[in-house]
Amino acid sequence: MKNQGFFSDLKKYRALLLMLTPAVLFFLLFAYVPMAGIVLAFKQFNYQGGIFGSPWNGLENFRFFMESGDAWRVTRNTALYNIAFIIVNNLLQIVTAILLFEVAGKWFRKVTQTVLFLPYFISWVVVGAIAYNLFNYDVGTLNVMLRSIGLGPIDIYNTAAYWPLILIVVSAWKALGYGSIMYLAAITSIDTEMYEAAEIDGANIFQRILKITVPNLMPTVIILFLLAIGNIFRGDFGMFYNMVGNNGLLFSSTDVIDTYVFRSLTTSNEIGMSAAAGFYQSILGFATILLANYAVRKYDKDRALF
Amino acid sequence: MKQTKKTVTLLLTVFLVLATLLSACGGGKNAAENGGSANAGQGNSGANSTESTDTIDISKEVKLKMLLVGGKPVDYEEVFGELNKLLKEKINATVEAEFLDWSDWTQKYPLKFAANEDFDIAYTANWAFYNDQAIRGGFLELTEEMLAKYTPKTWEALPAAAWDQAKVSGKVYMVPQNSNEVVDKVVLIREDLRKKYNLEPVNSPETYAAYLKTIAANEKGMNAFGAKPGDGWKWHELDEVLLEQQNNWKVVDPNVPFAFKMDDPSGKVFNVYDTPEFTELLKYYKDLVDNGVWSKNVISYKNDVWQDMKAGKFASRAQNLGTLAFNVAEQRRDKPEYEMAVVDLTPDKMKSAAVSTQNGMAIHATSKNPERALMLIDLLQNDKEIHDLTMYGIVGKHYEPVGDDQFTPGPSSTNYTGFSNWGWNSLLNRTDTTYPKEADEMLNQWQEHVYHYPLETFVFDDSKVKNEVSNLGNVMLRYAIPLEYGLIQDIEKGQADLIKQLQAAGIDKVGAEMQSQVDAFLAAQK
Repeated sequence: MKNQGFFSDLKKYRALLLMLTPAVLFFLLFAYVPMAGIVLAFKQFNYQGGIFGSPWNGLENFRFFMESGDAWRVTRNTALYNIAFIIVNNLLQIVTAILLFEVAGKWFRKVTQTVLFLPYFISWVVVGAIAYNLFNYDVGTLNVMLRSIGLGPIDIYNTAAYWPLILIVVSAWKALGYGSIMYLAAITSIDTEMYEAAEIDGANIFQRILKITVPNLMPTVIILFLLAIGNIFRGDFGMFYNMVGNNGLLFSSTDVIDTYVFRSLTTSNEIGMSAAAGFYQSILGFATILLANYAVRKYDKDRALF
Repeated sequence: MKQTKKTVTLLLTVFLVLATLLSACGGGKNAAENGGSANAGQGNSGANSTESTDTIDISKEVKLKMLLVGGKPVDYEEVFGELNKLLKEKINATVEAEFLDWSDWTQKYPLKFAANEDFDIAYTANWAFYNDQAIRGGFLELTEEMLAKYTPKTWEALPAAAWDQAKVSGKVYMVPQNSNEVVDKVVLIREDLRKKYNLEPVNSPETYAAYLKTIAANEKGMNAFGAKPGDGWKWHELDEVLLEQQNNWKVVDPNVPFAFKMDDPSGKVFNVYDTPEFTELLKYYKDLVDNGVWSKNVISYKNDVWQDMKAGKFASRAQNLGTLAFNVAEQRRDKPEYEMAVVDLTPDKMKSAAVSTQNGMAIHATSKNPERALMLIDLLQNDKEIHDLTMYGIVGKHYEPVGDDQFTPGPSSTNYTGFSNWGWNSLLNRTDTTYPKEADEMLNQWQEHVYHYPLETFVFDDSKVKNEVSNLGNVMLRYAIPLEYGLIQDIEKGQADLIKQLQAAGIDKVGAEMQSQVDAFLAAQK
């Protein structure tokens, strides 16, 4: 029966394979099968032809984006925002996770975790409405407060300069709970004997954090970073659209590829052109992840994704 | 061996699942064919045989599916149940409607076509993807023979001009509504507040500005003018009144800033933003916003303008006559302490008639029963009994007929309303007795001023310049909207910037393309 290696393997690992099946099916269904739709980026879509039968039109679909003169601005905005989100969010999450881990009271820890986690469940539509009620010029909470202490109101919705800060703060607020729990899980899996040994050796709390917790967290940080960097050219549409909307005055500092494409194409409703924009983002994302992975591998082979 | 068998079965199952997935994605046609019930073959044979005989074969019962926009009415089952009884008798068919809710119909509507879902009839309109879907092949072309044969009453009742207006590149794809609407925009004001401050009657841009500024100065906690530019409309909500109607212009396509003069026989199109009239209007708007007429954060406003106006937060809004007249009726019912009035700021200007494609019904390109679908549209539009039922619901419950052409809303009238049954508007429509009389009078007055211009039915085909059109739309949202709402301090520089950005986005190319289409259109008319 030795010659039936494949099938006996199949039988031997059937439980594991079965567990793997949903994930494999998921990616086949939602990532690999639709990938064939990339051809749409090079086609003039019509209903008779459908996805595969429509006539080719070369790079025509990419023209609108490249010739608009805005391609550089929105690509830059997208990348800068995402870099800022990755750095700020991860730093805050790691610090929060370490603090939560070091805090002794079980009840305090649980309650804090829950409270931090809440914003994660609030939809961007609601966050956008909350922001409007905080920041609007006439009756916004912030301006009412400023007026009551004798200061002039600030016109946030007509001033582009405030928005990078607002968006970064809101993003951090929303992602903090989720990320810190991930890091907290990583910290709790660190071998407690190390901490006991360190304590016996007389290490203080800061030394324990810097010499044990942080180095042990690095693999998790790197993997999360690599996963995040692949999406660096994808703006979080829900966030930007609900926070900024169609407010042209703010576009110079808030427009990302996704909102730009959405705005341009809702009227023309041209499927090929949106496919082209998506393709552009994927290519850029793919290149960045290859580069980042290469850099990580140079530094430490074991920690790279591939 | 047993194990091998098992694993082979498992592998086979996996492959089968994959194969189904792939085929489902590859050919929407297959899916639609499978989805169609047993009568799929019948429809085709019916079509073939009709060419030789004059009677229409309706011996086989068919089920039709109809796509409508708007929320599903509460009493849908009841009304459509009645309808199906009548239809079964008249054309041996039943119909089932699917409703695309207002909140996301613009996304779902094109998807229904893109996915080639199984439906026969779709509501469409010049503002609801008509040209778009016609160009992309989503609708079945309706030939004269088909229309004369399957929609005989409509074919008779609709004037030839209405059919002409429904043409996209020379072909008809919809059965348009039959109505003599006038589509000018008007404004709604708070008449009680106007009287409170002893203001002149509002009937011109100047008197309107005086009204708005007085409210802004005296009514605390209220914005004089309410608008929602954040929803993507690329113009100031007063532009249609103060720019188009005031100057007797007509914007060709709201997605690009080109207009022509209604009385210009040569049909020369020009960039609206590059005119002295626009510069003047900018000063008018700037004056209003400097006096606090609308909120500084108007672009980020997220609520519903009418609801806020009803709640006393706004003192005016702009919309078409029909909508505002219903607003007034609603105010009289729910908020009698207010007094609202619909006013026309451009009473002496040329009025333009609604093109027939303002509402209509089209046949899905892959419908298996286009004949029966057309017969249904014919009945909806021109059969008195079916028209009354589908437009107003059930007598005694949703409405009470008054004579032959009027009705009063019944006790549960709100349970059958709010969706696009306007698709089959016709001369059989009844008027609501609670509809404000002054609005009717205004409409009657307008009828005398209706001006028919040569480009009335012109439709711009943007397929050759879609890149530029997309970019122009973006520039309009980014530069024109803040400028028009007075949020840019230096309006002269703002206007120059806007024009410069439009140039960079390719406005000249779009203008040239549009002009050549207009010229060809006019030449073909002669």
